[in-house]
Formats: sequence, structure tokens, C-alpha cells
Amino acid sequence: MNEIILKAENVCKSFGITKAVCDVSMSFVKGEIHGLIGENGSGKSTFVSMLCGIHSIDSGRFVLNGEELHVKNQVQANDKGVSIIVQEMGTLSGLTVADNIFLGREDKFVRFGIKNTAAMNREAAMLLEKYGFGDINAAAMIDNYNFEDRKLIEIVKATHFGPRIVVVDETTTALSQKGREELYKHMRRIRDEGNTVIFISHNLTEIIEYTDSVSVLRDGKYIDTVKSSEVSEDELKRLMVGREIANKYYRTDYGQPVEGETVLSVRNVSVSGQITDISFELHKGEILGFGGLSECGMHEVGKAIFGASFDRAGTVALANGTKIDSIPCAIKHSIAYASKDRDNESLVLFDSIRDNIVLPSINDLAEKNILKKKKLDKFANEYAKMISVKMTGVDQFVSNLSGGNKQKVVLARWIGKNSDIIVLDSPTRGIDVKVKADIYSLMSELKEKGKSIIMISEEIQELLGMCDRIIIMKNGVISGELARDERLNEEDLIVKMV
Amino acid sequence: MTEKTKQTEQNGSLSKVKKVLSAPRFLDLLPLIGLVIIVAVFAVMTDMEIVTAKSINLILSQVFVLMIASTGVFLVMTIGGLDFSQGSILGISSIVISSLSFYSIPLAMVAGILAGALIGAFNGFFHVKFKIPSFIVTICTMYLFRGLCAYMTTNAPVAAVTNITSLNLTWLKVVFTVGVLVIVYCIFTYTKLGASLKAIGAGETAARFSGVRTNLTKFLVFVAAGAITGFAAFLNVIKVGSITATAGNQLETMILIALVLGGMPISGGAKVRFSNIIIGTLVYCVLNNGLVMLGLDTAIQQLIKGTVFLFVVTLTIDKKSLHIIK
Repeated sequence: MNEIILKAENVCKSFGITKAVCDVSMSFVKGEIHGLIGENGSGKSTFVSMLCGIHSIDSGRFVLNGEELHVKNQVQANDKGVSIIVQEMGTLSGLTVADNIFLGREDKFVRFGIKNTAAMNREAAMLLEKYGFGDINAAAMIDNYNFEDRKLIEIVKATHFGPRIVVVDETTTALSQKGREELYKHMRRIRDEGNTVIFISHNLTEIIEYTDSVSVLRDGKYIDTVKSSEVSEDELKRLMVGREIANKYYRTDYGQPVEGETVLSVRNVSVSGQITDISFELHKGEILGFGGLSECGMHEVGKAIFGASFDRAGTVALANGTKIDSIPCAIKHSIAYASKDRDNESLVLFDSIRDNIVLPSINDLAEKNILKKKKLDKFANEYAKMISVKMTGVDQFVSNLSGGNKQKVVLARWIGKNSDIIVLDSPTRGIDVKVKADIYSLMSELKEKGKSIIMISEEIQELLGMCDRIIIMKNGVISGELARDERLNEEDLIVKMV
Repeated sequence: MTEKTKQTEQNGSLSKVKKVLSAPRFLDLLPLIGLVIIVAVFAVMTDMEIVTAKSINLILSQVFVLMIASTGVFLVMTIGGLDFSQGSILGISSIVISSLSFYSIPLAMVAGILAGALIGAFNGFFHVKFKIPSFIVTICTMYLFRGLCAYMTTNAPVAAVTNITSLNLTWLKVVFTVGVLVIVYCIFTYTKLGASLKAIGAGETAARFSGVRTNLTKFLVFVAAGAITGFAAFLNVIKVGSITATAGNQLETMILIALVLGGMPISGGAKVRFSNIIIGTLVYCVLNNGLVMLGLDTAIQQLIKGTVFLFVVTLTIDKKSLHIIK
């Protein structure tokens, strides 16, 4: 049963001077889950966007069932039997659940120019029931549901009409374990019905477990397709990066207790509706982890330390007693913060790499209040190169960079500022293996220089691998604390999270 | 030739045109090229009349107030805002200057600047404190102060002290205008404040997270824009001598059109250039005078100006960053 259903032939796409997808030819078999992996900026998302009519194709073509695919938008793609579950929010606020599910196919319910809402809601409710999401109300506004439920609704939206190709683009990062199980279940069902799933993910364990074959893209080029049952994670990593990655991914040292002096103490900090009565201390040269479910309040802790919370009670103070109350105050006293929301909070998106790197250090760079362009250029170049940001020059706009490179710019600005306390919220979110490894080794380096790091993360593995201490949060309060130990495993943390 | 190759060829040439248009150097030069073209076109159409000393003098006499007031709005637009209250600020400040000119002319000038700054503070307060988009706040203040202007000039125009027009000297106005430009240029290019303005325009939340005091900065920008136009009002008073209800009428749209003609992105941010002010106001005044010299009807003139404005905005707009307008 190796009938080829979809073929890409010499597909190319450029954005300006960047070749996002370069002459990619590959085939997808009927009735398989086909993994698609590659580092950030390798062209995975662009490739499937062209397939689904989100981006236009520069040259080359897709052939579906022996017929050239010509689609200009997602509705046309759906009509041809191609649908996608996107990486970010794919449902529209301000509409009901049923409206979202039948977006673009309302005609089905229209008689004499009038939409039969009741019939639409009935059918949506039936579908939700069939998918096992019966507790979602089809007539309710979609805004009443959280990100995860909206993703489940999107699964229904993208698959209820029996498409022959379903693309799942890095959806699992946004889902909890339960949501993931649901998604896997429906991916398998689609395959068993004889259709094809294209599954994009950074999580290689997941890829190997749930796909039948895997294709690798690197720098916009097609590298290889392998059988998932015959490949290991390390082999996949090698294919993605194009060279051997040293096995030293996380820190390997154990058994060094944290004895440094206290550099920051957080006392009874509360933010209404987010966190309650949080107290802890951070030591010199320590990597302190914060773990928990994504709504547990740990992300707010990072903001509170940085003075960025809107309504905070309690105190955040340095060793010498200086209180941190605002962002300018935090920056002045050598605290750095990389937000989980990289594009809005960490980076001035429509501005150059130079301006982004110099902005926090601008007081230090001014001589008698005068800024000199040469000096700013030199500063930006020095740190962008130190962190090896992949760029055409410091004049390049940040909005054009890939996720991993954006994060490198964020790190470059705080390394440039020479901050002593560095708060990293989800530093490796949506970032590929190679840059991840770079970030981990940078963290170790900073630790050795005596800097203190707070790492807030939803990835348990990296907390276990990198942190000297891990604080676990649940429902806005601290629910446990664990010291670095080789014997710790995921279970130990999960027990305290849920 | 098959359908498909034709299409790809078209795409190819189109992308080439786009590439040339979006090359950074070319984009920076575009407004200047526009200025040269517009002067050349009018020179031909008016039999070189527009490049005579007399015409140039006339154009310059109109450019001062517009150029100074544009400098303030340039700052507002850099942070991604818009300011429609400039005309009414010019009116109110002109009335204040005229009334006080009987006591002391320097005092009147300072009071005019203060009056402008106060209205700017009013704008800034409502924009920052209540998070109302700036174009809505300033449209409201435009009506509010335009009404006040009309009220204060109901019975008769407000006349300034008669000898004030003796200050209407070209060299003095050049000094004032260049002075404002140089001061604002230095602040914009060489200080932390200038860098902060661009960052706010390009991404306000991130600017706040980078240590920029965004609310304070935004407030100050509106105060500065008001104060600068208050200063422009002084030049207006020494030119006209007495203030009627229509003082500063349409100034806000003139400024907006001038800045966009000068290449200013309407969403502000990192791509603004200080030269936008100078070239834009010159283009606007040449266009304005050229149309008058051609003897066109006022209605036709407006039609042409509207068309040119729409054309330039369509050509230069950056869809990606439009959501930033505050």
C-alpha cells in the first residue's frame, strides 16, 4: 500500500533575499503519518503554508492525486481536501464555536440567503460529540474557552470534512499531555481512514513514536526521508544539523551544593489573580528553575522580579537592600528579563538588530548624554557576533529573523548589558536543537562567571538538566522545592505540579 | 509561450520592480527625487516662473510655520501617534501672543509656547492616562480649541501690537526655523530620548520591557509638539499681525500631507528620517504654489492634492506595521 497521494516538485519560495524553501521535491504516501522536521528557519512552516494556500508558490508545484494543486487560500485548499492546524491561534475570537468549525463553508446552512444557525449548531454539536469533546458547547462564544480547548475545536474544524491531507504544524507545544493524547488519537484515526497527516514538531521523541516516516529539511532544502521505526533521535538530530552534535546537551555536573551569597530575595510577593505570597532567595552563581503547568503563575513570577507586574504586593530586594519596583529600576540594578512572549515583550519587532541590542544599555553607552552611532554599531556588532546571530548586518530588522535568531538577539542585549541576575522565561520555546544547545552552554558559561539565573520553563527535561534548584508552582503558590540530583526524574516534578 | 511561463515571467519582472523599490538607498532618496521632479514639472508648466527669486521668496515665506509645526508632529508620528490638534493650537497660541504683545513681545512669545505646551499636555494626558488612541483625542481637542478660537474672535479679530510686524524679516524667520530644526535634530539623533521615541513607535511593549519609560515619554512628546507649534504661532503673528477665527485652519492636514510626501511612514517607528520634515514641507509648498500659479480653481487644487496624497500613501504604506498606529 505505497500509493503516493501528494508530490512536491521543485517547490521554491523566497522572502526578499532569504530563500525560505529551495527546490524541494518529495512525496507523501496515502495512509501515513509523515513527520516533517528541521531547525528553525529550515522552511517547514513555509513549505506547508504553500501547500495550504497561505503563501503563494514562487516556482514548482504540488501534485495531489495526479492533479496539479492550484489554491489561493485556505478555503480553496479545504475544497481540494487539504487542511491545516496552525502553530498559533487558528480560531477567530468573537464568533461561536460552530461558526468557527464551519468557517468558509456556511453556504451549506444557507437557504434563500438566510443562515440557519440552529441547524449549524446542531451539526457542530454532533461533530464535537463524535470527536469526544462533548463538553464543549457549539453555540457558545469561542472566547469562553482556553487556548487548549480552542486547539481541540480547531482539530474538528480542520478534519471534520474528511480531508485527504491534514497538516499539523507544531501544535503540540501548546497542548497539555491530555490534549496531546487527543490529537494523537485523531491523527491515527485519519491515517487509518486512508488519509495522510503531515506532522511538524520539534519534539523528536514524539516524532519517532507517532509517525510512520520522517522527512528532514535543512536551510530550505530537502535532505532525506527515513522510516521512523528504523531511526534514532541522535540520527535525526544529525540529519537536521548536518553534523554530529556533542552529547553534552545539558549540564553534567552534580553534587555541588549552592553556597553562594544571596543576591536577590523575594518576600511575600502577590499579584492579584496570578500569584500569592511567593518568597524565595536566589544565590550567586545559581541556576534556579521554576516549573509547573502553564497557568500556574510561574510566568508572572518572572515579570514580578523585573518590576513589570502591574499590581504587585510584597518586596523584591537585592542583597544590599535596594528594592526593585519598576523596569528601569530593575535594569539599572543589573536584572535582565527574557519574556516568554518574545515578539511583543522582548523585542522591538519592527526595528533593527542594533537598536534592539543597545536599547537596555543606552544609559551606559551615552557619553555626557550624547549617543554616537559608531559606538552603538560597535557595541551591537560585538555582542551579536559573540552570540553568533545569523544576520546580514546589524541594520537588519528583527521581524525577519527566525525564532532561534530572535532569541539570540534577546540574549545578546542582556549579555551586552552585563546583567548579574538573568530571568529567562521559556528560553528555548519553539527553538531548534542547535540553538537550544547554544543557549544551554551559554547558561553554564554565565553560571561559571558568577551570574545568577532564574529559568522558568514548561519543559521538565531542561529544568532537570540545567537547574541547581527547582521550585514547583501550582495554582499561584509554591508547591515544592527540589535540589539538583541525578536521581530526580519527571515523575518527581509532575507529582507536585498537578 | 505557455500560460504558466508567462505568469512566472510577469512575477519575475514584478518582483524586480519591488526589489528596486524596497532597496533601502532608493527608498531614502525617493522623496528627494520627488521634490526635484515636482519642481521640474512646475518649471516647465509655468515657463520657469516658479524658479524666479520672487516665487522662491513667496514659497519660503509660507514654509516656515509649516516646517516648524511639522517638526513637533514628526515626533508624535515617530512614536506611532497622530496629532490633528495642531491647527487649533496655532490659533489659540496666536491669540495669546497677540493679546500679550502689548505688554512685552518676548513675554508674549513665551506665553504662546506655554499655551501650546498646555494643550499638548491635555492631549498627552488623555492619551496616556485613559489609553484613548491619539488621533481620537486630538480630533476632539481640535474641535474644542477651534471652537474656543471662534468664540474669542467673534466680535473682531484679535490684533497684536502694530509694530510686531516689523519683526517679519526673512533672516529672522530663517534663524528661528533652523534653530528649531537643529535642536530637535540633535535631541532626536544623539540622545536616549530620541532612541526611545523610535523604539516606542516600533514596538511599545518591548520598549517598556527594555527600560523605556513609555508613558512619560509619550506624554512629553505631545507637550513638545504643542510647545513647538506654540512657537510657530509667533512666526504666524509677526506675519499676519491680527488673528481671525480661521487662523491655523487646516494646518493639521497640511502637516500630515507634508510629512507623508517627505517619505514619513504613517505608522512611525524605526524607518522615520529627520529629512522627511524638510523635504516634505518643501514639496508641499512647491505643489501648493505651483497649482496657484497655474491659475487652477481652488476646488481643482484640493482635488489634485488629495489625489497626490492618496497616491503617495498607497505607494509607501507598510501593511505589516500598520496595527501600531496609536
